[in-house]
Amino acid sequence: MSARVSPLREPWVDGGKTLARITEDVCAPLERGPAPSWYWGLGASLTALLIGKIVVVHQIWTGIGTWGLNKTVGWSWDITNFVFWVGIGHAGTLISAILFLFRQKWRTSINRAAEAMTIFAVMCAGLFPLIHMGRPWLAYWVFPYPNELGPLWVNFRSPLLWDVFAISTYFIISATFWYVGLWPDLATVRDRSQGLRKKIFGVLSLGWDGSHRSWSRYETMYLLLAGLATPLVFSVHTIVSFDFATSVIPGWHTTIFPPYFVCGAIFSGFAMVMTLMIIARKVMRFEEYITLRHIDAMCKITLLTSMIVALAYGTELFMAWYSGNPYEQFAFLNRIYGPYRAGYALMVFCNVLVPQALWFKAVRRNPLWVFPISILINVGMWLERFVIITVSLHRDYLPSSWTMYYPTYVEIGTFLGSFGLFFTCFFLFCRFLPMIACSEVKAISTFAQENRETPRG
Amino acid sequence: MADRDFLVGVFVCEQDLLAATHAAREAGFKIHDAYTPYPVHGMDEAMALPKTLLPRLCFLFGAAGLLLAVLFQCWVGLIDWPMNIGGKSFGARPALIPIAFELTVLFAGLGTVISFLVLRRLFPGREPECAGLGASDASFVLAFATPETEQLRGTLNRLLLERGAKSVREASSR
Amino acid sequence: MNSERDDIEAQDRRDLVRRGSFLKGMAASFAALSGGGCVFRPPEGKVVPLMEQPAGVFPGETLWYATTCGACTASCGALVKVRDGRPIKLEGNPEHPLSRGGLCARGQASVLDLYDSHRLRFPLLDGKEASWAALDAFVSERLNGVAVLSETIVSPTLRFAVERFLKKFPGSRLVEYDSLSASAILDAHARTHGVRTLPAYHLGKARVIVSFDADFLGSWISPVEFTKDWSPNRQPEREWDTMSWHAQFESRLSVTGANADLRVPLRPSEQYETLRQIGLAVASLVFWKGPKPPAGEPSSLNAAAVSDTAGQLARAAGRSLVLSGSPDAATQCLVNWINAMLGNYGETLVLDPAGLQKRGSETEFDRLLGDLEKGAVKGVVVLSGNPVYDHPKGAELAKFLDSAKLSLSLSGRPDETAVRCRAVAPDHHPLESWSDAEAVSGVLSLSQPAIAPLYSTRAAIESLSLWAGEPMSALDALRGRWKKSVLPGADFERRWHEALRKGVVLSDVKNPKNLRFDGRVLERLSPNPLRSAEGGFELSAYASPVLGDGRQANNPWLQETPDPISKTAWGNYASFSPEDAAKLGIVEGRVVRLSAGAASIELPAQIQKGHARGVVSAALGYGRTHAGPVAANFPVQKMLPVEREELSGADLFPLTAYSSVRVESTGRMSAPAKTQTYDEMSDPITGRRRPMVQETTLQDYFKDATSGRGKAMEVGPSLWPAHDYPGPKWAMAIDLNVCTGCSSCVVACGLENNVPVVGKAEVRKSRDMHWMRIDRYYNENGETAFQPMLCQHCDNAPCETVCPVLATLHSSEGMNMQVYNRCVGTRYCANNCPYKVRRFNWFDYAHEDLTQNLALNPDITVRTRGVMEKCSFCVQRVQSAKADARAENRAVTDGEVRPACAQSCPADAIVFGDLNDPKSAVAKKLGDPRSYAVLSELGVGPSVFYMTKVRNKKV
Repeated sequence: MSARVSPLREPWVDGGKTLARITEDVCAPLERGPAPSWYWGLGASLTALLIGKIVVVHQIWTGIGTWGLNKTVGWSWDITNFVFWVGIGHAGTLISAILFLFRQKWRTSINRAAEAMTIFAVMCAGLFPLIHMGRPWLAYWVFPYPNELGPLWVNFRSPLLWDVFAISTYFIISATFWYVGLWPDLATVRDRSQGLRKKIFGVLSLGWDGSHRSWSRYETMYLLLAGLATPLVFSVHTIVSFDFATSVIPGWHTTIFPPYFVCGAIFSGFAMVMTLMIIARKVMRFEEYITLRHIDAMCKITLLTSMIVALAYGTELFMAWYSGNPYEQFAFLNRIYGPYRAGYALMVFCNVLVPQALWFKAVRRNPLWVFPISILINVGMWLERFVIITVSLHRDYLPSSWTMYYPTYVEIGTFLGSFGLFFTCFFLFCRFLPMIACSEVKAISTFAQENRETPRG
Repeated sequence: MADRDFLVGVFVCEQDLLAATHAAREAGFKIHDAYTPYPVHGMDEAMALPKTLLPRLCFLFGAAGLLLAVLFQCWVGLIDWPMNIGGKSFGARPALIPIAFELTVLFAGLGTVISFLVLRRLFPGREPECAGLGASDASFVLAFATPETEQLRGTLNRLLLERGAKSVREASSR
Repeated sequence: MNSERDDIEAQDRRDLVRRGSFLKGMAASFAALSGGGCVFRPPEGKVVPLMEQPAGVFPGETLWYATTCGACTASCGALVKVRDGRPIKLEGNPEHPLSRGGLCARGQASVLDLYDSHRLRFPLLDGKEASWAALDAFVSERLNGVAVLSETIVSPTLRFAVERFLKKFPGSRLVEYDSLSASAILDAHARTHGVRTLPAYHLGKARVIVSFDADFLGSWISPVEFTKDWSPNRQPEREWDTMSWHAQFESRLSVTGANADLRVPLRPSEQYETLRQIGLAVASLVFWKGPKPPAGEPSSLNAAAVSDTAGQLARAAGRSLVLSGSPDAATQCLVNWINAMLGNYGETLVLDPAGLQKRGSETEFDRLLGDLEKGAVKGVVVLSGNPVYDHPKGAELAKFLDSAKLSLSLSGRPDETAVRCRAVAPDHHPLESWSDAEAVSGVLSLSQPAIAPLYSTRAAIESLSLWAGEPMSALDALRGRWKKSVLPGADFERRWHEALRKGVVLSDVKNPKNLRFDGRVLERLSPNPLRSAEGGFELSAYASPVLGDGRQANNPWLQETPDPISKTAWGNYASFSPEDAAKLGIVEGRVVRLSAGAASIELPAQIQKGHARGVVSAALGYGRTHAGPVAANFPVQKMLPVEREELSGADLFPLTAYSSVRVESTGRMSAPAKTQTYDEMSDPITGRRRPMVQETTLQDYFKDATSGRGKAMEVGPSLWPAHDYPGPKWAMAIDLNVCTGCSSCVVACGLENNVPVVGKAEVRKSRDMHWMRIDRYYNENGETAFQPMLCQHCDNAPCETVCPVLATLHSSEGMNMQVYNRCVGTRYCANNCPYKVRRFNWFDYAHEDLTQNLALNPDITVRTRGVMEKCSFCVQRVQSAKADARAENRAVTDGEVRPACAQSCPADAIVFGDLNDPKSAVAKKLGDPRSYAVLSELGVGPSVFYMTKVRNKKV
C-alpha cells in the first residue's frame, strides 16, 4: 500500500492504518485498563491537589495575610499564576482554531488533547482571581446582576471587569468547541460499547449518527467556531495585559503589552502542549499518532514565538531608555540590577537562549531534548510574569514605600495545588474520553487519502 | 419518519460511496441520507444539498450580543448610574470595547451551536438512525427510502452492488 | 449626594444649637453629670447608667470639655471629646497660651491609657487586693518620717496637699525627680543666678537658636509649646531677615537636628569645650569683660562653625537663644554665660516667671538613698512617677522599697515601682480626676473628669488629705485653693465656670525678681567631667518623641508609631554612625551588647546618617518589664502571627548612670520593624534624585520664589473634559518648611479614624496601617526632609478606574471615597496608587484589649478583614460641619473643618479647606509660588499640595 502513498506529503499517521484500526487504537485506553504509570500520575496529581486545597482553605479562613504580600506589593504569586495559566491555555485554542483555519492537517492528532488542556488551564487560571480577593465569598459582586442595592452596577472601566468577561467567555467558547469536536467520537464509543457506558455516551453524543446532512452543516459550524475562537484567543490575553498596560505603574504602563502577552502566551502554551504530549504518547502508547513530526512542527512554532518574545524584551528596554522617563528607566534597570535580578536573568536564559537549540532538527525530533526544553520554557514564562508584576510593584514612585516581597508556604502550596488540579483533570481525560480526534484522523489517514486519489476502474 | 424502512448500501471507502450516490441520483432514486465515519467531501454536490443557514444565524446572534453589550453599558454609565470614576467622562467610549467584543463572540458562538442542534434535531437521548451498520467506525452507508415496486427495488440493489457496495440490505430507522 | 443626610443631621442639631451657649457655660456640671451623676463618690462606687437623662446631654451628641493633658509635666491644654459619656479623643486647646491648640503624639494617645485594662482596678496590700479601708488603716500608722518621692509636681493643689501632709508628719520630706531630668539646668542657674529654677523659654522671640543636644521639637521639656514658638519664624514668606536661623550641635540625629539649618554632629564630651569656644568668640564680639571658663576636653569642631555660630548669635544679641540638654551642670553654666553675655535673659528666656515643668534634683535623690541607707528615712511614699524603672539608681531604691517600714505607691498601674511596694493606693487616670497644673508660673490650667473612674481608684489629693486626717474631695480641695489664691475676690462661681470652660487662667506674677548673672562661678567650673575612664563609646540616651520616658509603654498606638528619624516601631535600637558601624563590622539589625559597670543590655544595631562618631545612642522608655502585654510585644490580635520576643526593646535607664559604654557584637540578628525601608531621595541604581520633596535655600528663594522645583515633567492636556465641582472642592496644603516630623498627626489620624494597630511582626512585613504617614528622606548632602504622605484625593484617581466593583469613586466635592462594605479586596487600587497610601486589612484587626474598644470613634466604621482603607480627608468632620452650617443657614466657613491631622499639628503645617473659595487659606497656599503637587507629572491631579522646603543657609 505504502507504494501508493502520495509523494507530495508523507502521512501524519504512521503504519498505514485502516479506519477500523484507528477506531480500535483510539478507543483502546477507554476499553482496556490503563497502564500502571497512569495510576502513579493520577496519584501524584491528587496529592498536589489536596495540598492546594488545604492551604487555600487555611488562607480563606484566616485572611490574605497568610500570603507574603504587603502595603506596596498587592499582587504577586496570585496574579503571576493567573497570567501563567491563562497563557498556557492559549496554545490549545491556537491549535484547534487557527491551525484549522490554516488547514494544518497535523493538528488533528493533538487538537483534542490541546483543547482539553486549554479548558483545564483556564480552570486553574480562574481559581486565582477568585481566591486573591480579600472577601472571596462576595466574588459574585463582579457580575452586573440587577440588585436591591439601589442602582449599583459594576465598573465597566476596570480591566479586572474586562477580565471577568474575557475569561468566562473564553472558557465557555473553548469548552463548547471541544464538546462539539467530541460528538462523532462519542458516537463511535457509544456504538462500540454496551450497558452503562453505552447509555452515558449515548446521552453525551446527542444521538449523533454520522448523517451527511449533519456532517455538512457540522463542518460549517466548526469553521464558524474556529473563526470566532481565533480573535477571541487574541482578545483574552490582550485584555489580561490591559490589567497592567492601563495602569500608571512604571513597568506596567506599557503599550506593547497586548502583542507581547499574546506571543508569550502561545510560547508558553506550546511548551506545555509538548510537555503533555511527550508524556501522553508514551503513557497512552500513541507514538504512531503523535509522531516526532508533530513534535517537530510544534518546536518550530515555539522557536518563532520565542524570538518574538525576545524582541519584546528588547523593545521594552529600548522604549524605557528612549522615553526619557526616569521612573520607567529605573523600573527596568531595577529588573536587571535590583534585588530580583536573578529572576530576570533566569527569565532571559529560559525564554531567549534555551529555545535557540530548536534550530537543530536533531533536537526538535528528539523528545529527550524537547522535554527538558519545554519545562525550562514554562519556568521562564512564569518568571516573566513574576518580573513584570512583582518587580515593577516593589519599587515604584515614592522610595519611602519601597519594600521586598517573599512568598509564604501558603502561596507555594496554592501554586502546587493548581498543578494538581490541572494534571488530575488531564489524566482523567486521557482515561475516560477519546484523547485523539478519531473522525478527523480517519479523514487524513493513509487509507482515506489513497481511496480519494485513485478511483477504482 | 421514525419507523420508515430504508434500503441501505454499505461501502468500505468514500469514492465508491460518491460514485454510487451520483449514479443513484442520476437513476432518479431519492436519497434519504448518507452515514459516514468522517465528512466526505463532494457528497454535498452528490446529494445536491441546499446551502446552510448557519453563517447568517451566526452573524445575527453576534450582532445581538454586540448591541446588548453596548446599549447596556451606555445605559448604566450615562442614564442609570453616572459616577465620577477617576475623572473620566461618564460614557468613556473606549472602555466599552472589550466587553462588547466578548459578548459578541459569546452570543455568536453559542447561538451557532444551538441553532445547529435545533436544525439537525440533535438532543440528549435521540435515537441515532441506521445505527449498527458501522458508520461510526469504518463503513460508508447510503440510505434510500425503500422503493415501492419490487422491480425498482431490484434496480437499486443492482446499481449499488455494481458501484462496489459491500452489501445491500433493508434497515429501519431504529 | 449626601443632601438628605445633611438635612436630617441639621434637623437634629437645630434645637441643640439654640442651647449651644448654655452648653458651653455649664461645661463643668455636665462634666459631673456625663460621668455618671456624681464625682466625689465612695471608693467602692460603680459607674451607674443615668436614671434620668441630664438636661442638654443627648445620645450620640459630641461634647467637648477643656482639661489639661496629663501625659507629661509640660501640661498642655487639651479639649476632650466626649461621646455618650465616653472620652474618645484628646485635642489641643486653642485657648491655652502655651500649647495653643497643639498636642503631641503622647498626649493624643493618652486617651487609650484610660481604657487600658492593665490598669490597677483596686488597692493592693502586699500584692493582694485590699479594701480602701484596710489600706488606709495599714498606711496611716506607718506615716512618720517618710519621704514623699514624686516626679515634678505641676499641680499647685496637689503640691499644697503634699505640704499639708508633710506638716502633719514631722521628719517627712518631699523629693522630686524627673525621669527626663533637667536637674543640671536648675543647678546651673542656682550657681549663676542664685535661684534653682528652670527658665521659661520664649523661642518665638529668638531669631537665632543654637541648641546642644536639646531636642526641643521632639521631647525636651515642652516640645509642643516650643514647636508653636519655633514654626512661625520658619516662614520664608516674610521679608529677608525674619526667617530664624537654627543651628543644632548634637550627638545623634534628632527631630530638632533634622529641622536645623546648620547641623553639626558632636560628641557629648566635646560639648563643654565647643560651648566655651563659642562663648569666647561671643565674648570678644560683645566685649565681655568678666571672667572666662577653664578649657576642657579638646573639641574636634572646626573653627569656622564656631565663629559662624558666634557671629550669628552676636548679631542677634537679645534675640538669640542657646540651649543645651547636657546633664552636666558645668556645661549648663556655660550656656547661661553665653545667654547672659548676649542679654537674652529677660528676652528669650526668663527666670521669673519661671518654667515649672522640671523641678527634680539628682542630689536630692542621692540624699534620699543615703538616708534610706542610714535608716534616717523610715518609708517611701511614691506619689507619682516610676523611679524603679525610670531612674538610673532605680535598682538601689527598689532594695529599700522591699525592706522599708512603709513602701507605698500611688501609681495607677502595677508598674516596676508599684510591684516593689507593700501598699498601692491607685490614683485616677488624669481624665478621671479633678486637678490643675502650672507648667509656667502664672499659667494655671484645670483638669476636669470626663468620665467617672472606671475602677476603684482614688485621687492622690484625696488619699493624701485623708491620711493627713482632714479628708476632702479633690473638687473641694481644688475649688478651695483656687478661691483663695487663683480667683480671689467676688463672683467666684462665674469666674470658676469661665475658667472651666476655657480650661486655663492667667494670673500675673507679682513683682518678678530681677536676677543677675554672676560670672564668678566661671573660674570655678570643673572642666568637663563627662569623659569616663573605661573608654569605649560615649552613650547618648534620649527620649523619642513618640514614647518619651516609657510611662505609656503599654499604649499600642505609641508602640506602633515609628520613630520620626529611624522609622522604626516596636522597640529601640542602638544607633551608630556609618563609619563606626564599618569599624565594628556590624550591619543593620545585628544585635549588639552595650555594657558599663554592672549594667548590660542587648539591642539591634541601626546605622544612622549624621550620627556623631564614637557615640552610640538609644532611646529610653523601652524594655519595661511591668508595663503590660503590649510593651512585652504580645499579639495585638490573636489571629496575627507574632514573633514572640521577651520585650520590645531594652531598658536603657541603668546605663544612663555611665557616660560611656563598651560595645560588642553578638552573632545574632534581629530585624527592626521599619515602616520605611529605603531612606534616600535618589534611587540606588542611577543615583538620580526624585522630585517628591522639593527644597531650596533662602537665598535662592528670594532670587526666584519657584526655585528648587527639580525637573518635574509637565502635564499633557487631558483627553476628556474635567468634571466640575459646583459645591466646595476640598483640598489640603502641607508646608514642608515647618513640618518637624513629630508624628502627632499620625497618632491623631489613627485615633480619629479607628485605624488598626497590627503589631511588630506585621510591621516587619511592611503592613503598617497608617493612613497618614511621614516619609523621611535624606538628600545628597545628608540633610533630612519630612513629608507627610496621605491619600492625595486625585481628581483623576488611578485607584478609582481600576476597581471592578466601584468600591472607590469620586465625591461631588473632590474627595476620593472608599466604600468599605462594597469592597471585595482585589487590591488593584493599592497597586495602582502612585503614592502607595492605600492600606489593606490582611487580617481581622480587633483590639486584643477589648476595653480599648471604648475609645473607638462611633462616627467611623470599623473595617473588616479583606477590605481596603485609606485617608478620607476626615469626611465625617466635613459632614458634621456642613450639617452645623445648614442648621444655622450659612455656608461652611473657612477653617471650620479641620481634619484630625491638621488639628493636632503643633507646627500648623497642615491647612485644609475649600479650593473653590478664593479667600480660603488653602486657596491662598495654592497661589503661593512655593506650592507644588507630588508626582503632578502623572496628570492624576492631586488635591494635596506641598510647600517647597526652604533651608536658611545664611553661613
